[in-house]
Amino acid sequence: MNENVIDRSRDITILEVLDRVLNKGVILTGDIVISVADIDLIYLGVKLMLSSVETMEKLKSGMH
Amino acid sequence: MGKLIYTIIKASEEPRQLTRVLSGMHGISNAEFLEVSCEGITAVVCDIQKTGMVAGHASAMDYAGVIEKLSKDFTLLPVRFGSIMETDDDIRKMLSGNHLEIKKNLLKVEGKVEFGLKVFCDTEKLKSARNIEPGMKTKSATEAGALHNNSVYLDYVNKKLTEYRLEESVLSYVNSVIEEITDCFAGFEASGKFNKMVSPANIIDALFLIKKEMTAELISVVQDLQTRYSDLNFILTGPWPPYNFVDITIS
Repeated sequence: MNENVIDRSRDITILEVLDRVLNKGVILTGDIVISVADIDLIYLGVKLMLSSVETMEKLKSGMH
Repeated sequence: MGKLIYTIIKASEEPRQLTRVLSGMHGISNAEFLEVSCEGITAVVCDIQKTGMVAGHASAMDYAGVIEKLSKDFTLLPVRFGSIMETDDDIRKMLSGNHLEIKKNLLKVEGKVEFGLKVFCDTEKLKSARNIEPGMKTKSATEAGALHNNSVYLDYVNKKLTEYRLEESVLSYVNSVIEEITDCFAGFEASGKFNKMVSPANIIDALFLIKKEMTAELISVVQDLQTRYSDLNFILTGPWPPYNFVDITIS
């Protein structure tokens, strides 16, 4: 197995972890407030905080 | 201040063991873990300042690490990253209100682990190996071309038909590989999910939920598949906590 294959496998594993932890499992829907310097600035769905490319694409297509 | 929920565990198994394991671990921002229990199920949570919630990949990876570690000792349902509730009482109400569904899911994943199987190939090479000649004319396309007396039209239709045939041919090959994989896994009593043609290179993206003790056999079966399909590249990932086999959405 050459180095490229090893690197590719590692990248795939990281993507797999992020895909699972961001998009799968028990889903609690709701909104949160992001505060900066004790001032509530943004009110948004938790889904939007950190998202995989796949989820962003889905959200984007849902907006059209 | 809020409560970040990591996972929901079948607590009746080993309540003391859970406390012992959690006492040796820390969550995101070095927070200590707390247990919120209701009717034999426990949510593993930690206090979190909303301003301190770091929405970065590193936090998501830490979060996944906690779930993975706990999954080695307990039957659990991973909770999606970023799930925050205000108080312990809110969490208890959530557990109580969804008690039956949570128990049903815990029963489904008990003693099991998830594996991902991705199959990659060079689709261009595969298409040329399928031996479909570009520009192969069909009767209907020729007739339509003659009717319109338009070679541009005929070329366009032929090009599209060839592309369609190639796609169909590749899909038929992918289906045959899926059938083979399904046959190989028949003895595993596995729950399986297949996605086809996720990208031009990733022709199959499969997920399996199998008994923990079948792990070594699964690896051996995938190695056999790799030997048999030398033009394909099989990548097996896992064992994972059962992220893809949990089916609960709580509002």
